[in-house]
Amino acid sequence: MNRRELLGVLAAAVAGPAPGWLSADGLFARGRTAHRRARGRAFQVFDPHQAETVAAMAEMIIPETDTPGARAAQVPEFMDLLVAESASDEERASFLRGLGDVDTRSRDAFGVEFVAATEAQRVAILAGLDAEVQALRQAGEKAEEHFFQRLKWLTVYGYCTSEIGATAGLRYETLPGSYDGCAEVRASRAAPGDF
Amino acid sequence: MAVPTFDAIVVGSGITGGWAAKELCERGLRTLVLEAGRPIDPARDYVEHVPPWEMKFRGLGDRKALERDQFIQRHCYACNEYSGKFFVNDRDNPYTFDPAKPFHWIRGRQVGGRSIMWGRQVYRWSDLDFEANARDGLGVDWPIRYADIAPWYDLVEQFIGISGEALGLPQLPDGKFLPPMALNCAETVVKEAIAKRFGGERVLTIGRCAVLSVAHGGRAACHYCGPCERGCITHSYFNSIGVTLPAARATGRLTLRPYSVVHSVMYDEKRDRAAGVRVVDAQTREPLEFRARVIFLCASTLESTRILLNSKSPRFPNGLANSSGELGRNLMDHVMGGGAGGIIPGMEDRTVHGRRPNGVYVPRFRNVTAPHSDFLRGYGFQGGASQAGWRRVDSLPGFGRALKEALGTPGPWRFGFYGFGECLPRPTNFVELDPNTVDAWGIPALRIHCEWSDNERKLLHDMSVTAAEMLEAAGAREVEPFVEQNPPGLTIHEMGTARMGRDPKTSVLNAHNQTHDVKNLFVTDGACMASSACQNPSITYMALTARAAAYAVDAMRRREL
Repeated sequence: MNRRELLGVLAAAVAGPAPGWLSADGLFARGRTAHRRARGRAFQVFDPHQAETVAAMAEMIIPETDTPGARAAQVPEFMDLLVAESASDEERASFLRGLGDVDTRSRDAFGVEFVAATEAQRVAILAGLDAEVQALRQAGEKAEEHFFQRLKWLTVYGYCTSEIGATAGLRYETLPGSYDGCAEVRASRAAPGDF
Repeated sequence: MAVPTFDAIVVGSGITGGWAAKELCERGLRTLVLEAGRPIDPARDYVEHVPPWEMKFRGLGDRKALERDQFIQRHCYACNEYSGKFFVNDRDNPYTFDPAKPFHWIRGRQVGGRSIMWGRQVYRWSDLDFEANARDGLGVDWPIRYADIAPWYDLVEQFIGISGEALGLPQLPDGKFLPPMALNCAETVVKEAIAKRFGGERVLTIGRCAVLSVAHGGRAACHYCGPCERGCITHSYFNSIGVTLPAARATGRLTLRPYSVVHSVMYDEKRDRAAGVRVVDAQTREPLEFRARVIFLCASTLESTRILLNSKSPRFPNGLANSSGELGRNLMDHVMGGGAGGIIPGMEDRTVHGRRPNGVYVPRFRNVTAPHSDFLRGYGFQGGASQAGWRRVDSLPGFGRALKEALGTPGPWRFGFYGFGECLPRPTNFVELDPNTVDAWGIPALRIHCEWSDNERKLLHDMSVTAAEMLEAAGAREVEPFVEQNPPGLTIHEMGTARMGRDPKTSVLNAHNQTHDVKNLFVTDGACMASSACQNPSITYMALTARAAAYAVDAMRRREL
């Protein structure tokens, strides 16, 4: 299951425009990345602008609420690892093209790159991407090959399997100790079969 | 230097090797167990409680390393980032096949063998199975019947601990069971619907499994952490490391030698006996010899046959104990992957606590009382109900706070039936030594010829029909029948190639797993099987091993061996 999902998420190429150029925000992100790298968590594939873009998108998919969000769970670092070490060259290029396309959409619609857009503008872009995925799904086409679906899967998987996501967000239990096949549902508890 | 000599040599330390070691040691023989792979230290090597965030790829595995080193093993669900180390390196352990007829040979080389990551489902055979070949004229008749093996099933079950429910079905005899594990709510709904609609012809029960529902034999009950295939520090499921090998060791008569790749069995033509085994030390590549009065091959179906094929002498130019020419022939594996899935409505306020390492079982119901017009023999279903939690969330629309809340909320109850069917014995499914390929230790590799026949394909199709019928009877929504196309081997129930039989001209082994040709040579793993039935086979291998060991020791005492 895991493997199939991963292959699905990183599977085929998505056509998209060339990556955008760096902006002031990108340079700002580069500074943050340099700081992070200094702490020993370098990105292998994402440049600072790309890293900040996926971080912003992941945090919108799983935001900080009363529990931490995707950024705190280091979802961008997890994405970078898989794109760097699991994806094929073609899958990696496809993912990065899809990421560049997010900036193209933002520039076309709002005249700025995604990370420089307002919250409302970013929501509009993600809503548009998500609608494309749902349309593919309803048409019975391969939604998992869409860039945004890949990113969403990586965000969900990366968050839920992180220590912060699994423990603070889902109350993951390593040792349940017993089995009850008909227990009452309690809020925010990981479904056991998911781990 | 004198060749080290023992009373008995057991090749392999897994499901059957552990049983042979225990029985032979307890019956007084100084026994050498030779294991091709490395030793396992549960404290160091078992990883069932390691959370995903401590794994580099969070359990997804190092895809590039898998593609490079485990391109066959990775097809097994259990060969993941945690337990991949219990599966062989495919570059070191080659075998060949026609690319148009793939065979997935899933292997484990370490102390414990595949008993570390086996599926743990245990079902007795009945005379419906032992009489099958005689009834329809395929293969050769089994030289034993249920009454011959029943006391040995008792012995094995009582020692290793099997949880399950007694049903009183003639085609699936009850065993010595510990209390059954519980069904979940959706499984209970399906069980009751099947009972109502199919009136006892089809029955759903909790899986009979080698996982302790209560403490047993000094081992703790299951703590429901879930992934048994990663090992179990409390020894709550059966593997040889935690159960049979300690019993053998307790006698003081066990010598266990890891890193010992058996090359062949030495045959003493003058005395017409197996003299010992030739070994390649896996670490030093040094050739070694060990001698014993009796030899048990328990190296796994295809490894035991490979060793015999590679044991050539003037008397046995085509492999030791192969005067029949049947060695290597009649390879079988269960055909799996016909079934259906669906959603069981309701019970949204209910979920499960704990990860139960077991599912449900529907015993064979085809060709039990009335013959089916389309196919011979039958199949059983495994399966069960579960709710996806966060794993379904990436496919939900939207993002943000609402999506995040869905992560901790169980989805609908999904039920799946997954069929396992009998494979007919056919001489055209066979293995031989590949003259052009050797493994990392210079030992000739196998070339495997195996494919499904129409009978197996018809079973798969029927599985999808009857599974959907049962789900519809339970009021399931979105019922989806399926028929997977899995290559033989992947069920990891490969068996046959040194079959038991009554006639030395048409079989390799007699009723006691003793080779017809060489009296002090026994093969007690899956190689011995003359037909496959549709039940998970390991318990039958264990029972046959214990029975053969008792026979061998008695025969030695009578000076017949």
